[in-house]
Amino acid sequence: MSELSRDALLDIVREVYERHDPVPGHLVAAMQAAAAMAASDLDLELMTLVEHSTELVGARGSTSYTLRFVHGDTDLLLRIAVDNGRSRVDGWIVPAEPMTIRALPGEEPTTHEAVVSDSGRFALTDLPVGLMRLRLEPHDGARPAFATPTFEI
Amino acid sequence: MGVILIDRQPGATSPMTRSGGPRAGDDRSDARPGDVWAEATSGFNRWVAGEAAGLDDLVAVMTPVLWHVVRAYRLSDSAAEDVIQNTWLALVRRRAAILDPVAVGGWLTTTARREAWRAAGTKTTPTPVEDEDLAQVLPRQRSAEDSVVQHDEGDRLWAAVDGLPERCRRLLRIVAFENRPDYRELATELGMPVGSIGPTRGRCLAKLRVALMQAGGI
Repeated sequence: MSELSRDALLDIVREVYERHDPVPGHLVAAMQAAAAMAASDLDLELMTLVEHSTELVGARGSTSYTLRFVHGDTDLLLRIAVDNGRSRVDGWIVPAEPMTIRALPGEEPTTHEAVVSDSGRFALTDLPVGLMRLRLEPHDGARPAFATPTFEI
Repeated sequence: MGVILIDRQPGATSPMTRSGGPRAGDDRSDARPGDVWAEATSGFNRWVAGEAAGLDDLVAVMTPVLWHVVRAYRLSDSAAEDVIQNTWLALVRRRAAILDPVAVGGWLTTTARREAWRAAGTKTTPTPVEDEDLAQVLPRQRSAEDSVVQHDEGDRLWAAVDGLPERCRRLLRIVAFENRPDYRELATELGMPVGSIGPTRGRCLAKLRVALMQAGGI
């Protein structure tokens, strides 16, 4: 019975863990998507905030206000409502254009997304409050994605 | 694809463990330490040069390594995934801080271990009792599955590794999957003096050697 070398022992350790606690099948693809998205955010064009309405305080402590952003010819109007610690964003894009809107909450890894309707409207519900930005991805692949600056709900 | 098994570090092959024909390892990640780090560097370089696929390749080659390193901290599947995702986000955001592309693999594993240690620390209370002492008193609990006759070599290898004290399992898993773990940080995480990591690793390997011989078949 010859002595197993250090490297041979470490090979065994690797083999048994690869077999008994394997990498989940979806993990690599999920991490590639997360990394690619973060990377594309690095050089994302930002919209400009042009209007910020004063807060309207509603019944039972709920509040709502509007934000307006522009980028090139695209105008984005957001109405933000907060109720019970969660928020809702109703958006309107002019001119209407097929896009996917992703809400990127600052502190939660999860993203919420919505597709813009023919009339240019979309809604994102049950969002957390706190720092938030929206990423707008035109379905026309020739148009680069752009994003709002981070705003606080 | 069995060829890949032979293509590992010089001297690292252990033909005795694979005399039984096709078995464990054949179907899993075929990249081995040595290749992994070079591929990581290559992917990173291509990404920095503007090729998006370079980032995909880097993620593909290093995510399995990060999984095993992070899981050594006994995190749940989802907690481990969070740690790994945060590691990738950190890389993307701080890529300018990585001055030496050759070190990108080590940067990733170190970042992941730090995150994992923090995540594990918030959920478990450290026990003042030495694992090694406990291990001599308590028989390791076996699941029903484990107590079924261990019919193949893979099970015997697993039993030998899994039967090691907790600290040995963690240390050996990290050392096995990482290239050159930073002993200073490992020492903090394992609650040991820096100088004792090397000797402890040696003792853990010796324990494993004995366990494998007792398990027979090696």
